[in-house]
Amino acid sequence: MNGVLTPVKPGIIFALFFFCMAWTGTQGVHAALLDGLLDDVEESLAEGLTQKGEKLTTGNFYTDDKPNSHAPIGMMGDHTHEAGEVMFSYRLMHMFMKGNRYGTDRLTTADVTRPGQPVPSGYLIAPESMRMRMHMFGFMYGLNDTVTLTLMVPYLSNSMDHVTRMGGKFTTRSEGFGDIRFGSLWRLWAVEAPSIGAHRFHFNLSLSVPTGSIEPTDRTPLGPNSRLPYPMHLGSGTFDFYPGITYGGEMGHASWGIQAIGTLRAGTNSNDFSKGDAYTINAFGAYEVIENTLSSSIRLSWNHWEAYDGMDPAIRTNHPMNGMRIVQTAFPDLLGGQRLDILFGVNVLFPDFMGLENRLAMEGGFPVYQYLDGQLETDSVVTFGWQAVY
Amino acid sequence: MWRRICTINSFLVLFGFAGAGLAYDVIEVETGATITGKVAFTGTLPHTPRRFEVLNGPEICGAERVLTKLEVHDGMVKGVVIALEGVERGKPFPSYRETATGRGRGVFNYAGGTALNLGVRLETCSFGPFTGVIRADETVQFINHDPIKHTLHTYSLKGHKAKILRTMHTQSLRAQGQTQKVFPAKKLRRASAVVLTCDRHDFMENWLYMVKNPYYAISDESGSFEIGHVPPGTYDLVAWHPVLGMQKQRVTVTPDGRLPVDFGFMK
Repeated sequence: MNGVLTPVKPGIIFALFFFCMAWTGTQGVHAALLDGLLDDVEESLAEGLTQKGEKLTTGNFYTDDKPNSHAPIGMMGDHTHEAGEVMFSYRLMHMFMKGNRYGTDRLTTADVTRPGQPVPSGYLIAPESMRMRMHMFGFMYGLNDTVTLTLMVPYLSNSMDHVTRMGGKFTTRSEGFGDIRFGSLWRLWAVEAPSIGAHRFHFNLSLSVPTGSIEPTDRTPLGPNSRLPYPMHLGSGTFDFYPGITYGGEMGHASWGIQAIGTLRAGTNSNDFSKGDAYTINAFGAYEVIENTLSSSIRLSWNHWEAYDGMDPAIRTNHPMNGMRIVQTAFPDLLGGQRLDILFGVNVLFPDFMGLENRLAMEGGFPVYQYLDGQLETDSVVTFGWQAVY
Repeated sequence: MWRRICTINSFLVLFGFAGAGLAYDVIEVETGATITGKVAFTGTLPHTPRRFEVLNGPEICGAERVLTKLEVHDGMVKGVVIALEGVERGKPFPSYRETATGRGRGVFNYAGGTALNLGVRLETCSFGPFTGVIRADETVQFINHDPIKHTLHTYSLKGHKAKILRTMHTQSLRAQGQTQKVFPAKKLRRASAVVLTCDRHDFMENWLYMVKNPYYAISDESGSFEIGHVPPGTYDLVAWHPVLGMQKQRVTVTPDGRLPVDFGFMK
């Protein structure tokens, strides 16, 4: 599945995306996309509800003033906004990785650097750990009753510790803005009634532009200004397309949701490679512990990402003198993997302040399963966030 | 999906706002008749007032609010919309204002003339009286006079037994903000009424019956109503209330006549 968009010119995707956005804004679509197409289903649901003395409500995407009406903070694009509504957000995500893994087997640095051995061993250098810190500045705007526009500007700070076969240690760092992501959420269908709860579906459609560097440099044993391997990059170098679908439900004090999102790379970047396509499925449940104030959540997040296509000729894979493999992070075919995380979160909703609805949230977790093609394994992920709706 | 979206929008642009549904001509009515009557209720009240603790903006809305959907005084019902169906030409739409009773001071302002021209003035967390009227394809102006945000959410009442509330619009209305919304006939389809709600304040709920002409009235505290200047002819006279439902009577009015018609709801 890697590179399903490769034959498509990135410019075409980019132009189509903005055409649709502009067209929607000027023409004014004013309903969920499936509104009117599911009349029979709605009639049938309403018939059952009538016997309970209830009415069926359709097209209501408004999320109540409850802490858990937003998904756990680590999940993005989970809710839409009413026309004219604005939301600012800031997230700080920490990911900590330590130790190497090949398939489901853990490797010590001695395993990785053991001389004369085939993959996953035989490298001159082994990465020991990596810390990734990502600041995400977000903006959402309810364009109309169909579309919510989104913007996300990430700022990344990475550092990776290494150990050489001879026991020497060094750290590389990269920092800067990542790929800016323009997005849209398209309301599909929503139904609710007191006895069946609320059920809402929307489409996620985003596009990232390659504003993040794919040429970070730092001092390494190979030189003072060496181009760093792929995991230290700040962007993908390609226009990336993120289609997905999200379902959210609420009933009483409980809420839940499922989201499936793909990351499809369009073409190859200027350094002759493309990151692998990726797929994520999130499923969460949350419960309002203190009414209108605090909720807690649990989330399972399945991530699958393909290895890279192509390679950057400026990133050395083998030592120029002896031809030995330098470090596994320089090999693009080893960058695929799968991971299942379990995360626990808390959302706090504050009373309105100066017309702003404020939320603070935190979510943290760890992988319960990971299968890697020979890379650093993830130990933990923690996200803090603030959201203000105006 | 894109194709479908494009098709729907092209259709809306080409035909949706072309003024369909405005087929009412204002003429001089020289021998108009008058329909008068009362609306009564017998039985057990199907609705009791509901109390809400106000969480958003209690300093403006009050700490507690009550939503009263049905008002019955001495067996007579207030707020029943009486509408004459099938009149295609006649008197102009009336010009008047109706202010909510109770804690909220919202106003329905009907500018009248050749159209209904409804304006909704939100004040003290209220849209206006519990019942009113609205006309398809007309622009309705909403003005928020409160210093707090309201989230306007309008629904149409659809389905064979009026059992589905279908979202028409949602709009964030900031403090002192305003917006205009059109209620297209094509989107209303079989709807009989429109509901105004605020997603941030559950006690804000108002029901607007769909009318096509100015021959309507809303019963007062004594359950009385009067519709004047009715062109002679035979029509359907509808009595509608969000809680009590709808009743219909066939009536014939004669030139300069005075026709008494009463309605009685039972539960």
